[in-house]
Amino acid sequence: MNSMNAGIDLQGSFIQSLVDLGLPADVAKALWMPLPMLLMIMVATVGVLIAVWLERKISAAAQQRIGPEYAGPLGVLQPVVDGIKLIFKEDIIPAKADGLLFTLGPVLVVIPVFLSYLVVPFGQSLLITNIGVGVFLWIALSSIQPIGLLMAGYASNNKYSLLGGLRAAAQSISYEIPLALAVLAVVMMSNSLSTVDIVEQQTGYGILGWNIWRQPAGFLIFWIAALAECERLPFDLPEAEEELVAGYQTEYSGMKFGLFYVGSYVNLILSALMVAILYLGGWESPVPLDQLALALGVSPSDPLVQIAIGTIGVTMTLFKTYVLVFIAILLRWTLPRVRIDQLLDLGWKFLLPVSLVNLLITAALKLTFPFAFGG
Amino acid sequence: MLNFLKQVGDYAKESLQAAKYIGQGLSVTFDHMRRRPVTVQYPYEKLIPSERYRGRIHFEFDKCIACEVCVRVCPINLPVVDWEFNKDLKKKELKHYSIDFGVCIFCGNCVEYCPTNCLSMTEEYELATYDRHDLNYDSVALGRLPYKVTDDPMVTPLREFAYLPKGEIDPHGVDPKRGRAGQRPEEIVAGSQGNS
Repeated sequence: MNSMNAGIDLQGSFIQSLVDLGLPADVAKALWMPLPMLLMIMVATVGVLIAVWLERKISAAAQQRIGPEYAGPLGVLQPVVDGIKLIFKEDIIPAKADGLLFTLGPVLVVIPVFLSYLVVPFGQSLLITNIGVGVFLWIALSSIQPIGLLMAGYASNNKYSLLGGLRAAAQSISYEIPLALAVLAVVMMSNSLSTVDIVEQQTGYGILGWNIWRQPAGFLIFWIAALAECERLPFDLPEAEEELVAGYQTEYSGMKFGLFYVGSYVNLILSALMVAILYLGGWESPVPLDQLALALGVSPSDPLVQIAIGTIGVTMTLFKTYVLVFIAILLRWTLPRVRIDQLLDLGWKFLLPVSLVNLLITAALKLTFPFAFGG
Repeated sequence: MLNFLKQVGDYAKESLQAAKYIGQGLSVTFDHMRRRPVTVQYPYEKLIPSERYRGRIHFEFDKCIACEVCVRVCPINLPVVDWEFNKDLKKKELKHYSIDFGVCIFCGNCVEYCPTNCLSMTEEYELATYDRHDLNYDSVALGRLPYKVTDDPMVTPLREFAYLPKGEIDPHGVDPKRGRAGQRPEEIVAGSQGNS
């Protein structure tokens, strides 16, 4: 994990300790590399389990039900049980379907989502790579998804699947643009595409420094577009069960369906993480911790304080993420599904012009008040 | 130009209104989250059916006079009354009686009109079978009494909302000796007799 300046340098100390043991530096680095990747896949998977459990529990509460209760305390093991069931379920490829594309579809949907975790920082130096084009990589990867969805829909040889796949592709493509424009406004303010730089630009003033105050319209546009990208409920037409059975998922069962399922929740968490990073200050606490430490009379460079600040940072990122996931779940039980024409109307006639205006206003403000809008 | 600005203004107003309505909707769903779940965990907990519950119909063979009123008031003439005229007694003799609960709509007309009260409603509702022909109950099956929910040691009986004591909203753990809110019919009758 890359460390720029301050903070805990896990990578450096790990490699250093292996070199001290007598290993060549290259081997030490090669030994280090799989660790953060495995960790990130684990984090994403556990995150999915938590999100599924939250979804079921919160849905139940919003409908005055109890929800999963018997599998583990409060039903926390229910998503695990679901997953095990999906793994052992027979994996059917319909006789008239195109086997290769049918298998490739869910894979193409899931891999880009997991790959996007490359650039998600959970703390100042807690990310796999701090590449300069972080957010851009995420946007680029997320546009691979509609290909997978279309592939799955087309290969199923089923009219519901095909319609669902087409809808999914149309929806993803039309919401990509306002999403990218909203991100562009943030990028303009922080002069960088790197996720770490974007968060660092929001640091120093606690909650007041977060981008949400400078980009309220951008925040809403991004959140709406992100929900549409995840096919969450107000925009879940590709899977609208009343019209399309299950959309592109209709013919899928077993682990192939499981991949779609996991992909959708990983994507939801990823979007929530991105909102937290771009607009809610990422790992920043509402109160600037460095200054709090100074005010309490402890040095921020003290190792123990560093560990505490790092832990609080990860907790803050996850807390913001799950608050956003909670809002997404609550929205699911609040809003009715939009029609396909309303969906495209909202995307092209409302979000696109508003995000363009938002971008222009941000540019103007950046020129006028360079101190507040990242000159 | 002015027209364009007006359009933009109207559009903005509509968007704000939509946002307001979404906020109101969210507050409703958020409020629902702190409410008590209404779940009855069925095989382990069961609601006590109300006294007017229209469940499976009970039939007393010996009371029946084979008048066939039940057949005539039934919307689909469902009860099958098999009788023979006994010339010695100059009376109709019932040989067989059956109702097919796969077809019955539990409207209760037969129970309402039976002149000898040989038909009555029970509180039985668990009629699932593997074969729909099993739902065609003959006079023996119709004569069986259902098992009461309150007598079943495997089941926690729960009172329906209207049958809870005053002030209670959760049926769990309510003392079965505490009566329902308000007066029972016999109490009303006793009260009015005391007054006169």
